Amino acid sequence: MASVHESLYFNPMMTNGVVHANVFGIKDWVTPYKMALLLLLRELVRVSEQLGLLERRRLNRLLLPLLQGPDMPLSRLHKAIEESCPRLARAVHSRLKFIAEGQLKDMEQFFDDVSVLFTRTEPEVHKTSVVGLFLRHMILAYNKLSFSQVYKLFTALQQYVENDEKKTGVDESDMELMNAEELEGKMEKEELDVPLREEEMSCNGPLSQKQAEYFLSQQASLLKNDETKALTPASLQKELNNLLKFNPDFAEAHYLSYLNSLRVQDVFSSTHSLLHYFDRLILTGAESKSNGDEGYGRSLRYAALNLAALHCRFGHYQQAELALQEAIRIAQESNDHVCLQHCLSWLYILEQKIFDSCVLLEHSVTKSFHFGLPYLASLGIQSLVQQRALAGNAANKLMDALKDSDLLHWKHSLSELIDISIAQKTAIWRLYGRSTMALQQAQTLLSMNSLEAVNVGVQQNNTESFAVVLCHLAELHAEQGYFPAASEILKHLKERFPPNSQHAQLWMLFDQKIQFERAMNDGRYHVADSLVAGITALNSIEGVYRKAIVLKAQNQMSEAHKLLQKLLIHCQKIKNTEMVISVLLSIAELYWRSSCHTIALPVLLQALALSREYSLQYLASETVLNLAFSQLILGIPEQALNILHMAIEPVLAHGAVLDKGCAMFLVAKCQVASAASYTPQKKTEALESAILNLNEAKTYFAKVDCKEQLRDVLYFQARLFHTLGKTQERNKCAMLFRQLHQDLPAHGVPLINAFK
Amino acid sequence: MATAGLGSGGFSDLREIKKQLLSVAERSRERGLQHSGKWASELAFALEPLPLSELPPPPALTEEDARDLDAYTLAKSYFDLKEYDRAAYFLRGCKSQKAYFLYMYSRYLSGEKKKDDETVDSLGPLEKGQVKNEALRELRVELSKKHKAQELDGFGLYLYGVVLRKLDLVKEAIDVFVEAAHVLPLHWGAWLELCNLITDKEMLKFLSLPDTWMKEFFLAHIYTELQLIEEALQKYQSLIDAGFSKSTYIISQIAVAYHNIRDIDKALSIFNELRKQDPYRIENMDTFSNLLYVRSMKPELSYLAHNLCEIDKYRVETCCVIGNYYSLRSQHEKAALYFQRALKLNPRYLGAWTLMGHEYMEMKNTSAAIQAYRHAIEVNKRDYRAWYGLGQTYEILKMPFYCLYYYRRAHQLRPNDSRMLVALGECYEKLNQLVESKKCYWRAYAVGDVEKMALVKLAKLHEQLNESEQAAQCYIKYIQDIYSCSELVEHVEVSTAFRYLAQYYFKCKLWDEASACAQQCCAFNDTREEGKALLRQILQLRNQGETLSTDIAAPIFLPASLSATNTPTRRVSPLNLSSVTP
Repeated sequence: MASVHESLYFNPMMTNGVVHANVFGIKDWVTPYKMALLLLLRELVRVSEQLGLLERRRLNRLLLPLLQGPDMPLSRLHKAIEESCPRLARAVHSRLKFIAEGQLKDMEQFFDDVSVLFTRTEPEVHKTSVVGLFLRHMILAYNKLSFSQVYKLFTALQQYVENDEKKTGVDESDMELMNAEELEGKMEKEELDVPLREEEMSCNGPLSQKQAEYFLSQQASLLKNDETKALTPASLQKELNNLLKFNPDFAEAHYLSYLNSLRVQDVFSSTHSLLHYFDRLILTGAESKSNGDEGYGRSLRYAALNLAALHCRFGHYQQAELALQEAIRIAQESNDHVCLQHCLSWLYILEQKIFDSCVLLEHSVTKSFHFGLPYLASLGIQSLVQQRALAGNAANKLMDALKDSDLLHWKHSLSELIDISIAQKTAIWRLYGRSTMALQQAQTLLSMNSLEAVNVGVQQNNTESFAVVLCHLAELHAEQGYFPAASEILKHLKERFPPNSQHAQLWMLFDQKIQFERAMNDGRYHVADSLVAGITALNSIEGVYRKAIVLKAQNQMSEAHKLLQKLLIHCQKIKNTEMVISVLLSIAELYWRSSCHTIALPVLLQALALSREYSLQYLASETVLNLAFSQLILGIPEQALNILHMAIEPVLAHGAVLDKGCAMFLVAKCQVASAASYTPQKKTEALESAILNLNEAKTYFAKVDCKEQLRDVLYFQARLFHTLGKTQERNKCAMLFRQLHQDLPAHGVPLINAFK
Repeated sequence: MATAGLGSGGFSDLREIKKQLLSVAERSRERGLQHSGKWASELAFALEPLPLSELPPPPALTEEDARDLDAYTLAKSYFDLKEYDRAAYFLRGCKSQKAYFLYMYSRYLSGEKKKDDETVDSLGPLEKGQVKNEALRELRVELSKKHKAQELDGFGLYLYGVVLRKLDLVKEAIDVFVEAAHVLPLHWGAWLELCNLITDKEMLKFLSLPDTWMKEFFLAHIYTELQLIEEALQKYQSLIDAGFSKSTYIISQIAVAYHNIRDIDKALSIFNELRKQDPYRIENMDTFSNLLYVRSMKPELSYLAHNLCEIDKYRVETCCVIGNYYSLRSQHEKAALYFQRALKLNPRYLGAWTLMGHEYMEMKNTSAAIQAYRHAIEVNKRDYRAWYGLGQTYEILKMPFYCLYYYRRAHQLRPNDSRMLVALGECYEKLNQLVESKKCYWRAYAVGDVEKMALVKLAKLHEQLNESEQAAQCYIKYIQDIYSCSELVEHVEVSTAFRYLAQYYFKCKLWDEASACAQQCCAFNDTREEGKALLRQILQLRNQGETLSTDIAAPIFLPASLSATNTPTRRVSPLNLSSVTP
């Protein structure tokens, strides 16, 4: 049963069943704030001759945000103008007060005056300029008002000025005195007013359609480019709800609300908003038949496609597939190749999530070129390159492909894709073990000015590519022993990608990995062990691998071996070659730790073959180091020295500091071992060069603070000095060794047998 | 107040009740509360007339009343002429309860009227939602002062509650309405407002309501609102038994209740009865027309439309009836036009949005239909028909996955409505999600299938999945269902069921059952030939196998597994179809 007091006067203004929110065709209307702006403009024109250049520039810069932004209270407007030009602020204020305290005819007169600004023979304002358009909008809107509306505007203006005065009045007057006088009455009133006042705070006036559009586009671009600068999810949602309350037909607001819900991972409200948006969009689509698209069918397809994207985002792959199938079917029925192309790309993404395949992708790339969709095409190329790189295709071809797609990007100014491409290059160089190249690419991206920076003023800096590059940068720094720099970068990442944002997991993983490495270097295995859980949560394979390493370091060989074997099988199945090689290396290490060098050899050779095949140079040289070590132990140091020459160069060029130290240490060992058969004079030479190499190793180890290795090196050096009869140097080394040895627990493995 | 006398909740003394009703009707009218007055008078009319000696005396005038009498009389006439500000002006100093109420009420109505006027005349479309009744805040402050000082009578409390509700202070409003009901239980308006604020059964449980006979009316009404139809019907029945059998209000409520549980025949007969008693009634006639529409009773609907149009053509209900009439005649444009007119008369009239959506669907104007449904949802989020309609629209647009969301919403709102479940099942079937689909059909059957199609669909699914035993069981159940219905509706699928069963029994070598089913098949045109062929085959094989075995177990008509689980459950929670989808 309808409520007793229902409004019977409301007119839903419908034609053909479609309610037009904007029946008057006005996107803007006059509010007291707008009148204040009009006054400002007029005063500006009047006194423009007398203003200084600086003041004028400031005011001009102020104008645009004022014209586009939401209405603000008079005090704030006053402050804003005052900052640029106090004189003008006073003038505007007094004029506004004059109108408000006057009569209706003053306001009428004012609007008559405004139009003079551009109707003179030599107008101060051009009709088509931003300001001119604003003026004309306002005058038009004012002229359309009926008498009662004009009167309402006038009272609103009075209210506007009055509110301002009240505020300043309360600030200045003596609070105590007022309270003492009418404490009781006022208290009661305030108590009652509280809920209402809160409500007022939240909706500081409705936005006009123009203001709303501006607000939405601004927030949307912030969400895309720099999430931290956008409103917080809660307050943005509040604004949106407010907006929708005043105009439920404003479909774009629903879309922004969808984006906003995605931010906080709210599957329910994001689905709701997305569907609501498309329900609304279908209508506007039906109206705009004139512009070539076949009505709302188009938005239906994209609705289904977006739904698929949503489910994919939340990891509901099966649901996403169903939605995608639907989108594909509808797109096929209406021969929309462009939409189909989008679907195909999504299909690829989904397939990748479920199982690997790049047939679809190749197909997608060629087709995208055919339909002239450069964005999709190069996105496809990039995915393809990624996949090929992991599958071990020739590096030069991949780089060629990336270069070609880069050409395409620059041609079409696809700045986003340029970023991705550079990030991808960084990652690929890292994969190949060329840290200097990776470093260079990372720096390129960071110091490159985004194309869009020119017109928006905000850099696109919360995209995934930035996160990737920064993470790599952090890790590279950590590898070189610059831990403060690495933690600085991580701190920056934390600020830029707050923990609940989409790409936060990336830096979380890298952060933990770096901490893990440090803990391992310091020999704090329990700390490393506690980090494993965190790593596993973010990346299970990596986590298991790290767990095995910790076990290995704690001398729990059989557990480590079991874990590594399992991991090996799994990685071989999912074709994660990089991890396979790392695991093989670890297994080999386990073998030689148990003094089974002969068993380690085939494993190492397998690793070497794999890393060569996939051109993972860094892993290859590490394998060679391991191989050389095994040869050394097996008693063929000459052979070991021979192959070491192969590996030492890339290690010194691109390796982590720790690896460099290990390599130099190993070289020295081999030199000593092979010197055994030399003539005494040659032997002395060899030993001296070994000492030099050991010195180098020592500096490397010192950099990453590896005390254990440092101790070993010192011991070795002392022995060498002893052989050469240099007592003083020997004693010095021995003393240093002694100091370190007291701090550290004894190593389980005999000194000479350890390589790492 | 004088209401303390009606303490007991019984209906033993109908005369006393009648007296109370008459007096409250008079007092409501004095305060300009027309609807409550009307309700009380209607109910009083249903009771036996009182002899002259027992007629309630006019309420005694107090000193204050006498002092305010002139102002009151003047203001009341202004009030009746809708000159609220003027009425308020002349009442401003009055102290008596009656005059004070009228004073506040005029101010309230004046604010409302101005608000409505301004909605049309606002500065811009976006400002529309912002127009408020400016008087509300002042009224609230003044009334709350009086409330604290305990100076408000039942009517005053009611007005305070209304003001609070308009300010969206729901919790406070409920408290005040409950208080109003305690102070003056006879005032139906307070009860009605309470009905609008209570959203579920739990809330109802925690209200402390006065124990009077009015409470019975309230409970019955709110049960209807909360879709607790059985309870509502019980209450109404007991009210009729208590002596209100002639009340048109109760009769109409019962009819609406039957309509809500889709007991169409009963609802129709009650409405016909109602129209005989109260031929010029317009309220609830839209529901009546919905029923006529469902039964495709063209002449009756046309008669009703003509009749109502003669009475008052500018009523929401009239427009709705005419819309239904045109819709039944397949003149959908005209139907939509009339629903639009209904909305112009009252934009918060929810049913019209949904009905308009249906019309646009018929006209294949899907975008307008979606718009209409969305509006309906905006007015009331719990309108399951609009969600269902949206689902249907997208289903027509061949987007089965997309429409799942909408059907699911509808299902959540009405967990035991089989139509949504069948629709969900069909969508899942289209998406090849047969497991989910089976769940839906089974649940649809379990909650009491209206269209009796769920079982057939379930059986066909089982058939597809080669689960012949389950399929057979479903068919058996289906046939039992069809034949247990007293009226034998011509069902297309019966023949399919018999054919499948015949073949199934044939495969299981249960010759007796197989031949029985095959014979049934012969009764239908489309399966006659197959039935005959099967009978012949059975005969042959029987002659061969006569010697082999006759000891196969008795027929499995109605297997235990099925009959044990088929008790239709009332009030079930929504089906948890898929954990990830909202």
